[in-house]
Amino acid sequence: MTPRPGREEDPDRLYTLTSGRSRPVSDAFDLVTLVVAECDPVPGMQSEHAAILRICRRPTAVVELAADLGLPVGITQVLLCDLLDTGRISARHPRTVRTAAQLPDPEILEQVLVGLRNL
Amino acid sequence: MTAQTALPRPRTGRLRIPARPREQRAPLAYLARALAAPLVVTIPVAVWLIVAAPGSLRAPAAAGAAAGILALVVAVAVAAQERWRARRLAGQLDALRAEAERFADELLPAAVRRITAGETVDRVLTAVREPLTGPQRRMLALIADRVGSSESRRAAAMAVGANAAGRMQALATGMLADLRQMEHRHTDPAVLHDLLHLDHRTAQAGRLADSIAVLTGARSGRRWAKPIRMESILRGAMGRIAGYQRVRLHSTSEVAVVGHAAEGVMHALAELMDNAANFSPPTAEVHVYVEEVPAGSVITVEDSGLVMGEVALRRAQSAVAAGSGDLTGLSGTRLGLTVVGRLALKHGLTISFRPSARGGTGAVMMIPQELLTVPRPGMDAGPDAEPLLPPEVPATAPSVPAPAETPDPDEEARHTAPELGESGLPKRRRGQTLSAAGHDGPGHDRPAARPSAGSAGHGTAAERAARFSTFRSAVHGTTPAAPAPAPDHESPASAPGADRDEHNATAPSPESDAR
Repeated sequence: MTPRPGREEDPDRLYTLTSGRSRPVSDAFDLVTLVVAECDPVPGMQSEHAAILRICRRPTAVVELAADLGLPVGITQVLLCDLLDTGRISARHPRTVRTAAQLPDPEILEQVLVGLRNL
Repeated sequence: MTAQTALPRPRTGRLRIPARPREQRAPLAYLARALAAPLVVTIPVAVWLIVAAPGSLRAPAAAGAAAGILALVVAVAVAAQERWRARRLAGQLDALRAEAERFADELLPAAVRRITAGETVDRVLTAVREPLTGPQRRMLALIADRVGSSESRRAAAMAVGANAAGRMQALATGMLADLRQMEHRHTDPAVLHDLLHLDHRTAQAGRLADSIAVLTGARSGRRWAKPIRMESILRGAMGRIAGYQRVRLHSTSEVAVVGHAAEGVMHALAELMDNAANFSPPTAEVHVYVEEVPAGSVITVEDSGLVMGEVALRRAQSAVAAGSGDLTGLSGTRLGLTVVGRLALKHGLTISFRPSARGGTGAVMMIPQELLTVPRPGMDAGPDAEPLLPPEVPATAPSVPAPAETPDPDEEARHTAPELGESGLPKRRRGQTLSAAGHDGPGHDRPAARPSAGSAGHGTAAERAARFSTFRSAVHGTTPAAPAPAPDHESPASAPGADRDEHNATAPSPESDAR
């Protein structure tokens, strides 16, 4: 821990970012939901919203967004819900069906594990 | 103890006016002057009377004249003596009055001032050179003693308050930092909710400690090492009051407040916001506007609550204006405006109050230009650092076939998400960091590997490649200009054998360093 805690961080507390909300109103977002911006940031927007819109010019996973913003995932989800409600972003889940069908044989995975341990 | 014993130069004061002192007898010269005029008149008249009188009446006339002159002399002498004494007493009274006035107007205030400034009572008393009467000296001693003891009591109370406030501040700051860490650590929404609640409470406690620290003259608590953006200033202030959910911010300002003044500005703003929220209905909103003017930035906190009358406005203004004053007028429950006044004086802020167009009161704070700065992009690792990163990546990687003009979702998804091999596991392209480290010419697949993910604090792909290049040349003893591209597209799942071990033993795992 740094000798001067809090010296480097920002003064705004997390609850002021979301007006005290800590859980998203919808469950549209989980950790790997891909988010795409539908518009550009406008002046006067909350800076986190603007940052999300900038990062999400390319599809970005929620967890990556949270890491980029330096915010907890829960707070990020609340912010994303706000943007989703106003239609500024769209969200979709990564295609899990195809990857689930293509999961390799457990034996191969085991061999990989053994090989990795031998490294 | 009589008056005389304590006197350095005994003086007959007003206490002893009834007892007539001996030396108050008119000098002979004064008497002679007083007697001269009547004698000069009466003696020739008497001589003329005696000469003009018939012979038989001369003796009685002479006797009568002598008696008359004698009576006149006595009367005049007595009158002159009394007049002389009255004059003298009047002079003494004047001197005494002047001395008392000097004592009350100069000596006593000077002594009190020196004691208040920190000198000991004894030193101040012995330093008084002026002659004093006994009562004056006793009065001075009493007052000096009382002032000295109250001054030391005040100083002790202030020191205790300042010390306690400083510790409270440190505790609150530490707790806020801890809470921030916990908020990042716990993903359960219920836990996060509780943590945010605690965070809010702690921030309010911290503000109270800050207020006491300001009032007791302790040094300000937190110091920010970097300029703080206006949005963070407003939100930092807002987060320290109970009714923060009623505060609406309207700011497009891009300026930042310099680090050493940011805490004071935030604290003063928080007090103004708290006032606005407390003196308006519990459902009414408090609106905060930021406007940039040539002299600085103007922040207006407007509520729609009670309209402050002329008197109340003037009182608020004077509470804010009396920044350097002592705590005499402090009422105990209304610390806010006094705190704002202190902070305004310290940082050169200008605070004024006016009726608000929203129906309530507006508090206007002017932050002077010398406390403002324009934040450098990427000054902090916050959200504003982001524009430096991903959108420009295609320009630095010229061999990416389809730049941003044709947004193919799958292609873009592969830039941000790990790409999947045939096995369904995430797969890295082999040698990409190695080749980027080798030389920076074109022809490599994607030298900037996943530039958007998590690179905010670690520089660009080129920097990583440069670091790896240094590492590699140090290990191999070769120059980085001889890249050894490994065979491409080797599936990680298909080669878990011993040759891979050997390979990794000689070439120190470029993949593991790529991250």
